[in-house]
Amino acid sequence: MDTLQEEENQIQVRFVTQQKEYAVTDSAILVPTKLRRYGLSEIINHLLGFEKPVPFDFMIDNQFLRTSLEEYLQTKELSTENILTIEYVESMLPPTSLSTFQHDDWISAVKGYNKSLFLTGSYDNHVRIFNTSGECLQTLLGHIAPIKSVAWVSVTGKSKNYRNEHAICLSASQDRSIRSWQVSLTDGQYTPLYDCKGHKESVECISVNSSCTEFASVSLDSSILLWTTIQPEANEEIEKKSKRRKLNKDILAPIATMRGHVGPISSVMFDKNDSNKMYSGGWDHSIRVWDVETRTNIDTKVCFSSYICDKTVLGIACSDNLIASGHSDKLVRIWDPRTEDSAMVKLTLSSHKNWVSCVSWSPKSQFMLASGSYDGTVKIWDIRSRTPLYTIQNSNSQEKNSLMKKLFCIDWDFDMILSGGEDNQLHLYGTKTLDIQS
Amino acid sequence: MKRQRDKEETSSDEIISDNIDVDTEDISDEDIEGTISSAMSDCETFDQKEAQVQYEIGANGYPRQIWPEIDPIYESDTSTEEPVNTVGNIPMEWYDDYPHIGYDINGKKIMKPATSDELDKFLNNMEDPDSWLCVKDVLSQQNVKLSEEELEIIRRIQMGAFPDPNYDPYEPTIEWFTSKPEVMPLNATPEPKRRFVPSKWEAKRIMKIVRAIRQGRIVLGKTQTPKPRYYSLWTDNDKPREEHIMQIPAPKIKLPEHDESYNPPAEYLPTDKEKEEWEKMDPEDREKNYLPQKYPCLRAVPAYGRFIQDRFNRCLDLYLAPRMRRNKLNIDPESLLPKLPNPKDLQPFPTSITLSYDAHKGRVREFSIDPSGIWLLSGSDDKTIRMWEITTGRCVKTWDMDEIVHSVAWCPNKDICAFAVAISNKVIIISPPAVCDDETTNLTAQYVASGFNTEKNVEWIKPSTEQGDGFLVIVQHAHNKVIKQITWHRKGDYFATVAPDAGNQGILIHQLSRHQTQQPFRRTKGMVQRVMFHPIKPLFFVATQTFVRIYNLVKQELVKTLQSGVKWISSLDIHSMGDNIIIGSYDKRLCWFDLDLSSRPYKALRFHSKAIRSVAFHKRLPLFASCSDDGTIQIFHGMVYNDLLQNPLIVPVKILKAGHEVVNNLGVLHCEFHPTQPWIISSGADHSLKLWT
Repeated sequence: MDTLQEEENQIQVRFVTQQKEYAVTDSAILVPTKLRRYGLSEIINHLLGFEKPVPFDFMIDNQFLRTSLEEYLQTKELSTENILTIEYVESMLPPTSLSTFQHDDWISAVKGYNKSLFLTGSYDNHVRIFNTSGECLQTLLGHIAPIKSVAWVSVTGKSKNYRNEHAICLSASQDRSIRSWQVSLTDGQYTPLYDCKGHKESVECISVNSSCTEFASVSLDSSILLWTTIQPEANEEIEKKSKRRKLNKDILAPIATMRGHVGPISSVMFDKNDSNKMYSGGWDHSIRVWDVETRTNIDTKVCFSSYICDKTVLGIACSDNLIASGHSDKLVRIWDPRTEDSAMVKLTLSSHKNWVSCVSWSPKSQFMLASGSYDGTVKIWDIRSRTPLYTIQNSNSQEKNSLMKKLFCIDWDFDMILSGGEDNQLHLYGTKTLDIQS
Repeated sequence: MKRQRDKEETSSDEIISDNIDVDTEDISDEDIEGTISSAMSDCETFDQKEAQVQYEIGANGYPRQIWPEIDPIYESDTSTEEPVNTVGNIPMEWYDDYPHIGYDINGKKIMKPATSDELDKFLNNMEDPDSWLCVKDVLSQQNVKLSEEELEIIRRIQMGAFPDPNYDPYEPTIEWFTSKPEVMPLNATPEPKRRFVPSKWEAKRIMKIVRAIRQGRIVLGKTQTPKPRYYSLWTDNDKPREEHIMQIPAPKIKLPEHDESYNPPAEYLPTDKEKEEWEKMDPEDREKNYLPQKYPCLRAVPAYGRFIQDRFNRCLDLYLAPRMRRNKLNIDPESLLPKLPNPKDLQPFPTSITLSYDAHKGRVREFSIDPSGIWLLSGSDDKTIRMWEITTGRCVKTWDMDEIVHSVAWCPNKDICAFAVAISNKVIIISPPAVCDDETTNLTAQYVASGFNTEKNVEWIKPSTEQGDGFLVIVQHAHNKVIKQITWHRKGDYFATVAPDAGNQGILIHQLSRHQTQQPFRRTKGMVQRVMFHPIKPLFFVATQTFVRIYNLVKQELVKTLQSGVKWISSLDIHSMGDNIIIGSYDKRLCWFDLDLSSRPYKALRFHSKAIRSVAFHKRLPLFASCSDDGTIQIFHGMVYNDLLQNPLIVPVKILKAGHEVVNNLGVLHCEFHPTQPWIISSGADHSLKLWT
C-alpha cells in the first residue's frame, strides 16, 4: 500500500525552456509531486551539471508555480498520469541597491540612457545629468518652476565613457513650458535650444517617439500638444529680419493639439514600435489611444469595474504589445491595446498601499515591469504571477507618521531601475540575472 | 238601566262564589239566607226607586230628573241582631273551661249557650225529624239546620259534579283568532315589515355556521368516526389537559435524594469529621440543610424536626414565585434597522489617507481648493498662507501675513486666477504668481484694476508691491472686528464677508470688479455664524446660532426661515442643485434640510462624539461629509433625486479615522471635497492637512 502511495505521489514532467543555454533533455522525467520551485531548480541544476547553482523559476501554462506540484494539480484538478510540461526560466535575482545620488529637492522625473547617463528633474527647478559614478555632469538652469518630466532625445558620440559628446534632452516644467537643451558632456557647456510654449497649465509629462522626431506633452489643461524636435532654423532667419529682441533660445509652437480628455492629463506615452500610436491617461479615469498622423482618438479605455471608480491614471508605460498603468486606487492595470473592448482590463496587480504614481516595463523581458508608489516602495512584477516578485523598500524611509516618502518617478534602464521621490535621492537598483559565465 | 243589570250580575256572582267557598260542615244557614234575602230586597228597592223619579223643568228649559234619597237600609242588616263571635279560626276547645265562647264586636263576652246533655240530644233527635239535617256551628256552639240549596251543593260535591248546577263546562268555543281571514278582523294593523324581511338573527346563526365551515371547524360530508366504546385505561397516548394561558405552574419541590432515606447506604453517611464541619458552618453556607442519618428500622424514625421550617420555606417559595408571564420579544434586531443600500454599491467615496501636507506650524483653520482641482490653499494660525499641489503634496508658495489667517477662498471664476484671504479686519485679494498663464494673469489684473473707492464701511486700497507677492486689492473694513468667513458668489464677482462681532456691519457684500461694497442688512438678528450664496438662484443664506434665514437678494425680502433645533450652528453648506442644505452644529448634530419639504430638518444625524466643525457637499458626486473635534471625518452618501416625490437618500458610508490628532480638544477643523474627484481634504489642529481617497 505504501509503495502504491509513493508511486501516486510522482508525476512525469517534461522540462522545456526558451533560453538555449539552459536546455535539458526533452524526455519526460518522473519527479515527486511534493516538490516546490526550489526542488525543481535543484533537478535542473543537477541535469545541467552546474557547479554553482543557478536559480530557476517554473511556469505551467504561462503561470508561475508558487505552490508545490501536488497543490497545483489539486487546484487545477489534473491527473498525475499525464505528462506535465514545465517551462523554466532563469529567475531574477533580488535587486541590489547600487548607489544613491543626493539631490537638493524632491526628484520628479528620471530617465536613464544606456545605463551610463541619468537625467533627472527636480523640484528645485534644475535638470541634472549624472553618470554612473554619481558625478553631476551638468545642472541645467532656466526653468522658473519645478520640473515635472524629462526625456532624452539623442546622444551623439560613440566612445565608451561619453567624452566629446553632445546630448539633446527635454524638460517639462510647472512653468507651462518645455525646454530643449543641448548639453556638451565634456566641457560643462549647455545651451537651451528652444522653448515650447502653448500649455496653459503645468506640463505633466512628455514622451519622445521612437524615431526621435516628434514628442508629445500633456498638461493639466486637458490638452495634448505635439511638437517636433527639429530645431526651427527657418524661423530664426525671419526673427532676425524682423529685429525682434533676440533671445538665446527660440520659442516653438506646437504642431498639433489633441483634445479629448476631460480634466487634467497626467501621462503620455508613444508606442515603442509604432510611432504613429500614442497613449495618454488622465484624471477622467480613461486611457486614450491616439493616431498621431490623423490626430484622432482611436480608442478610449475607461477604468470602471463594478465597484471602484476612483481611478486617476497617474503613469503609463507600454511594452511591445501591452500597456501598464498606475492608478490612484492603488492598482496597476495591464491593458491590451489591440482589443476592441474598451473596458477590458487584461490584468490587475494589487499590492501597493497607496497611489501608484509611475510604471515602467523591463526593456529585456516582455513580462516584467516595475511600479513605484506613494507608499515609498518599488515593486517588480512578472505578469505571469499575481504577486510581486520583489518589493524594494527604502529602509531609511521609516517615518513617524504612517505616510512614507512618496515616489514620483521610476525608469527601468537595461538592468537598472532608477527611482526618485520625496526623499531627494535618486536610487539605483541592479536587477541583473545571474550570468553563467561569471 | 244597564248599570243596574251589571250590578245584579256581579252580586249574583258573589253569591255563587260564596256558596262554593262554604265548608260543608261549618255552614251557617242563617247567614246564607240572610245575604240572599237582603240581595232580593235590594232589587226590589231599586225598582221602587225608579218609579219614584220625578221630573221638573230646569233652568235651561229642559226637564230635569230628581232622584229620591237613597235609603242605605241599615236596619235590614241581620248581622247587627245577633252578636258575632270574633275569636276567629282558632281551636274552640281553648274556651272549653270558660263560661264564654268568645267576644262580640264590642268586646263583650258571648256567653256559652246552655248545652243539652246526651239524653236531651237523643230526645231532640228523636223528636225533631230534621235533626239529621243539623250541623253544629262551632263559633256559636249551636246547631244550625242546612237549607235545601246547601244540601244540594253537598250532594253535588259528593257526586263529584260541579257544585253550581248552572255551570256549563261544555260551552261552545268562540274562535276569536282563526286561520280564516275575517271580513271584519279584530286587529286592523297592517302586517309588520318583519314578516317580509329575512330574519337578522337567523342570518347571524347561519353566518356562524358558514364561518365555522370556512375555518374548518365543521367539515361537510365528513362521516363521524365513532368513538371507541372501550379505551385502554393505562395507555400513554392520552395527553395531559392543555394548560390555561394564564396558568403558571407552582415551583416544583426537589425530589429527595438517596441520603435522605432513613436507611441510606453506608457511603452516604457522613464521617465524624464531616459532621463536625457541617456543625461549624453557618446555616446559609451549608450545602444541604440535613445530615444523613441511619435508623435500624422505620419504626425507630423520630418525628421530622424541621417540618415547620420546611413548610415555611415552601410557602415562601410559592409566595415569591413569579406570578406574571413576561413574553420575551423574539425580534431579530437586524429587522429593526432601516433597509439601506450596501456602502460598497455606493462607491466611489474616500476610504483611506493618501497624502499629508505638513509644513504649517499652527492650526490650519481653513483651506480652499481651486476650481480646477489642482491647487490647494491653506491659511493657518502661524500667520502664513500656503499653496500646495494637491496630487503631490508639494508646497508651492508661502505668504507671510501679519495676523492669523481666518479664511481663504478661491475665486470660483475659472477665467481669473485669484483668491481672497481674511486677516483681522482686512480682506486681501491675491493672485498667485507663476501658476496660471500670462493671459489669465492679465485678465485677473484688469478685472480688479479700476476703482479703489473709499466708502462708508470699507476702504479699497491698492497695495504696494512690497506688501506681498501678487497682492491685488486690500479691502480694509471700517470696523475693527475679526472677519471670520469669506464666501464667493458662483460667478466670482461678488463675495460676502462675515464678522460675527461687528454688529450691523457683520455681513458685507463686496463687488470685486467695481470695488463697491453693500451692506445688505441694516440690522442683523442674532450672531451671524455663516453666510452662503445660493448656487443657482439669487438667494442668500444667513446662518445665525439657531436659525438659517434665506433672503432673496433681488426682491430684498426674507424668503424662508429654517429652524434647525440645534443650539449653535457651526457650519453650513448647500447642495449644488440648491434645494438641500446641511448644517453642522457644536452640539454634535448634522441636520439635512430639504427646502421643498419643510423648515424643519429632514434628517438630523448624531454620529459624532464631539462638536462638528465643518460640513461639505461634493459638487458633482452624491457625497457629503462632516468633520468634528473627535478627530474623525464622516462620509455620507446623500443622493438627491430630480423626482419631487422621492426624498433624498442618506446613507453613512465611511468614518475616516486616525488621520488627525486631537490637540487641545480640537480635532478636524475644516473639510472640503475635491471639485472633480471623489477625494476629500481635511485640515486639523495638528498643523497638517490630509488628502483622503
